Amino acid sequence: MMRFVLSRLITAIPTLFLVSLAVFTLIRLIPGDPVSLMLGDNVDEQAYAAMSQQLGLDRPIAMQFLIWLKALFSGDLGHSITTGEAVLPLVLHRFGISAQLVLVAVAISTVIAVPLGMVAAWRQNSSFDLSVVVGATMLMSIPTFWMGLMLLLYFGLNLSWLPVIGYVSPAEDFWAGLIYLIMPVAALVLHETGILVRMVRSSTLDVLRLDYVTHARAKGLTEGEVLRHHVLRNAFGPTWTLLGLILGNLLGGVAVVETVFTIPGLGRLIVESIYGRDYPLLQGCLLFVAITYVVVNLIVDLCYPIFDPRVKSV
Amino acid sequence: MSSKKRFLLSTLPVLGMLCGIPAAAETLNVQITADIRSSRPGVNRDALSDSVALNVGEGLVAFGERGQIVPMLAEDWTVSDDGRVYTFTLREDRLFHNGAPLTAEIVKQSWEALMAAPDFTCNIYFNGNRGSAVERIEAPDARTVIFTLAEPDAMFLKNSAQSLCGGMAIMHADSFDGDGNWKGPVGTGPFVFDEWKRGQSIHLTKFAEYVPVGEGIDGYGGRKEVLVDDVNLIVTPDRATAVAALRSGDLDIVPYLSTSEAGELTENPNFQVHAAPHGGMITLLMQTADPVLSSTEMRHAIAKSLNIPELVDVATNGLGEANASLVPIGSVYHGEVQERAIDYAPEEVSALLKAAGYSGQELVIQTNRRNPINENVAVIAQSMLQAQGIRARIEVLEWATQLDRFRNGNFQLSAFNYSNRSDPALAYSAVVASKEDRGSAIWDDPEAIELVEKTFQTPDGEERQALFDALHELYLEQMPFVMLANNLDVSVSASYVQNYRTWNGFTRLWGVSLDR
Amino acid sequence: MSLGKTNKYLGGFLIAFFLTAAFLGWVWTPFDPLAVDLRSKLQAPGAVHPLGTDEYGRDVLSRLLAAARTSVTISILTVSFAVFFGIILGSVSGYARGWVDRVVMLFTDTLLAFPSILLALALLSILGANMYGVVLALGFAYMPTVTRVVRGAVMSLREQEFIEASRLMGHPVLYTLRCHIVPNCLAPVIVIATSMFGSVLLTESALSFLGLGVPPPAPTWGNMLASARPYMGQAAWLGIFPGLCISMTLLGINLLGDYIRDRFDPRMRGL
Repeated sequence: MMRFVLSRLITAIPTLFLVSLAVFTLIRLIPGDPVSLMLGDNVDEQAYAAMSQQLGLDRPIAMQFLIWLKALFSGDLGHSITTGEAVLPLVLHRFGISAQLVLVAVAISTVIAVPLGMVAAWRQNSSFDLSVVVGATMLMSIPTFWMGLMLLLYFGLNLSWLPVIGYVSPAEDFWAGLIYLIMPVAALVLHETGILVRMVRSSTLDVLRLDYVTHARAKGLTEGEVLRHHVLRNAFGPTWTLLGLILGNLLGGVAVVETVFTIPGLGRLIVESIYGRDYPLLQGCLLFVAITYVVVNLIVDLCYPIFDPRVKSV
Repeated sequence: MSSKKRFLLSTLPVLGMLCGIPAAAETLNVQITADIRSSRPGVNRDALSDSVALNVGEGLVAFGERGQIVPMLAEDWTVSDDGRVYTFTLREDRLFHNGAPLTAEIVKQSWEALMAAPDFTCNIYFNGNRGSAVERIEAPDARTVIFTLAEPDAMFLKNSAQSLCGGMAIMHADSFDGDGNWKGPVGTGPFVFDEWKRGQSIHLTKFAEYVPVGEGIDGYGGRKEVLVDDVNLIVTPDRATAVAALRSGDLDIVPYLSTSEAGELTENPNFQVHAAPHGGMITLLMQTADPVLSSTEMRHAIAKSLNIPELVDVATNGLGEANASLVPIGSVYHGEVQERAIDYAPEEVSALLKAAGYSGQELVIQTNRRNPINENVAVIAQSMLQAQGIRARIEVLEWATQLDRFRNGNFQLSAFNYSNRSDPALAYSAVVASKEDRGSAIWDDPEAIELVEKTFQTPDGEERQALFDALHELYLEQMPFVMLANNLDVSVSASYVQNYRTWNGFTRLWGVSLDR
Repeated sequence: MSLGKTNKYLGGFLIAFFLTAAFLGWVWTPFDPLAVDLRSKLQAPGAVHPLGTDEYGRDVLSRLLAAARTSVTISILTVSFAVFFGIILGSVSGYARGWVDRVVMLFTDTLLAFPSILLALALLSILGANMYGVVLALGFAYMPTVTRVVRGAVMSLREQEFIEASRLMGHPVLYTLRCHIVPNCLAPVIVIATSMFGSVLLTESALSFLGLGVPPPAPTWGNMLASARPYMGQAAWLGIFPGLCISMTLLGINLLGDYIRDRFDPRMRGL
């Protein structure tokens, strides 16, 4: 077990290296640079040269990369060009905010989606099934930025139940923090539930057609027992894998939801650092996102045997 | 917050905790579209950072409402006959936020520290590059500061009052920690920089010991009376969210709204919409080095194809006013000559095109989606040009990319906005230069370069007016780009907010009160 | 099974409807979708403009038709790109294993961790402001999923007797891959590909919201939806119609996808 985890982490190193290299090169090759943005339309070549030199951007890209790598090995991710903050604590702080949002949303979606999807599959082609499919499709086809705005206008404005902007960390004040999380979580839940329901439904359909389900039914088990004992565990395997993908994907940035609901999360930070050409910050963010991917996938694989009896151990 | 009872908020003192103040305080909640870059005036700044800095710090002099220089921390000053020595007399009894009194020695230290900072944006104005170098600063007594310049510079005071230099705000040494690193601004302004939650909000409190001077609101200077207890600047990047928050009462002021959203709120009695032009410029740039656009006839053909009043009206949703001159309409230098424009004359276009030898080459108009006015200008200009047989295509770029192309002069047509310029000479110098010296130069003409040079050396008065008139005549003759209008600030505030105006891109928080 | 048939026909009808619209948008639209008419901006749906006009007075119906073409093209190109290269990479990596597998997986994982917004920005700056940058960026973003699925399927197939037999008969590797392995792992790919068609439309819309995506003025459903947001109060139709197009296309694809899945899943044959 430990050996498996270790070897997985070691094989991830080339991926992390490649991600860093690709991000490093790509963001520098795209037209536009942080110094131009800082100077805006007040272009002065002398000031431009001086600032580039001060930020070390006048060196060749390969050289800049080596300097960055060297600092990385001593645990230094550098400082943001736009705000001057140290990158590592900033990324960790913002990640915490995104993570709580995403984890809560995915957990709620799973709790809703699994029973709905299973029952829909079990009653395939019934009117219940059709309404679940249509409902789920509708939900997943509304972009989160529209869903978010509709929630804001209805619950924030028409009903005045919830605050429209602002953010309070639940770590500082649990109840106040919770109130600010309701709408962004709801927007994510509505969207992700749509996707998950369809996933659960289709993997349940696969399992229902297998021989042992027919066998279990022939043994005289009630439908409820069949669903609970045989179908649930087997159908959850593929869902679990995709849940890992969704989680990894979301943790890497819920930029849209964060923008709509003024949440200072990692997704918004990434988008802002791309538009602001904040090289060190973007590199730090994406290195961190890549690590998150590796870790989430590792956890998913480690948990796989719990949900899929066919996989005995890793 | 709002007059409506809020179901959840009323049960929990959430907002009190958000602001960290007792519930009875008068708090102003103001949108800020992005976080500030730093809290140090003039260093690592953008327009939003300037806006916060100018509420917290004050310089020796400041820009008044019509672009004139007014006293601020200096009560008076004299300029030597050779134009090189500026002697300032400081006001008495000005206090810093830490309680320390203002002295000449602190002014000297503050200037020297800023000019020594390598990332000080305005270095070029004080090191002999674009303005005269500051040779030395002396403080012979507690109330006198003497600046000696390397050469005479009529722009010295205007340069130092610029918002991008943070108005050369005087900062106390307590703004730095023991190692000389920036900690936070300790200035003399009417607001204290209290707390900065990065990515979330900036909290300013009223500086209780501030003694207002001067008569009435006047630009960055004048009478600065704070009528609220504190201000929250809440980072709200999405415009639609900001409008929803304004409607719900979570925000009291949205200082920069796009004209399209403001149009919808104009008729709503719960809101006050104010649109005011400033010294920024809405332009359609032309690359005069381009094979097609190097012909003056071609550029005139483009200008005459554009119905500029209509274009400006639609692009700014009826809030803007066309201005053919780089001198803003509100400026003391905007006179009769500046009213002259190239009029919409579609009947003359085909002859001009023929003279220019135009044979249907496609022109590309660059624009971006960050500023809706740019996108509007591009879309409308394209359709007006097409109508006169000039083929044009729109290329929408991400802002940093467009800026990069602008810097290198890599475009044919570009819907581009210049930020606020506090003096017409600065507006001209933004476009006039030799393309060899500066890739972003638009108007490369020796006569224009010389005229602009002179406007910098000539003190305010009739002689300077004549220079601006000559520049405008030359512009109309050569048509190096199309000046469309001055950019505008559109602010929206709730009906219970008194006296709020965004002035020259600046979120001016003094003088604003709440009357619910 | 009568409801199953309904699903099939409803799905088929929706897809046929939007494909026809896309084709129609290619050959004819009632107005020029790019023509600005400032006198008739933000008009509610009426006799002249059945679905109203947008903030520049452009006819929404014409734009939706033109957008149908762009959106469908983007969808098809993106999914084809992802599926084509995903199958190649996945089958090679699953069949060859060893270092080839490791290199492919390294590449795939790198892509997975890469934000598509950065990729889109880079490609738009290289390819110019047109839809191909978006197609490539999204194609790269979707490719890893296909690669992983195919790789998994190939790995289990490769151990089966008929592949062994093909190898023993002396068939070259490419032949075995092409004739035995790839056809047998198409089922999961088809299932994924159908769901991707809709997802591409949504991702393009989200990119537009964040300021990238297919650059205006060329319309796509996604960028129409994103740019309608400021006018939600004044002119709701600007958002509702492109939103409906996306929803209905997604619904059609999903319903039809279920049917295709049942047809192509080898375990289902003969049931």
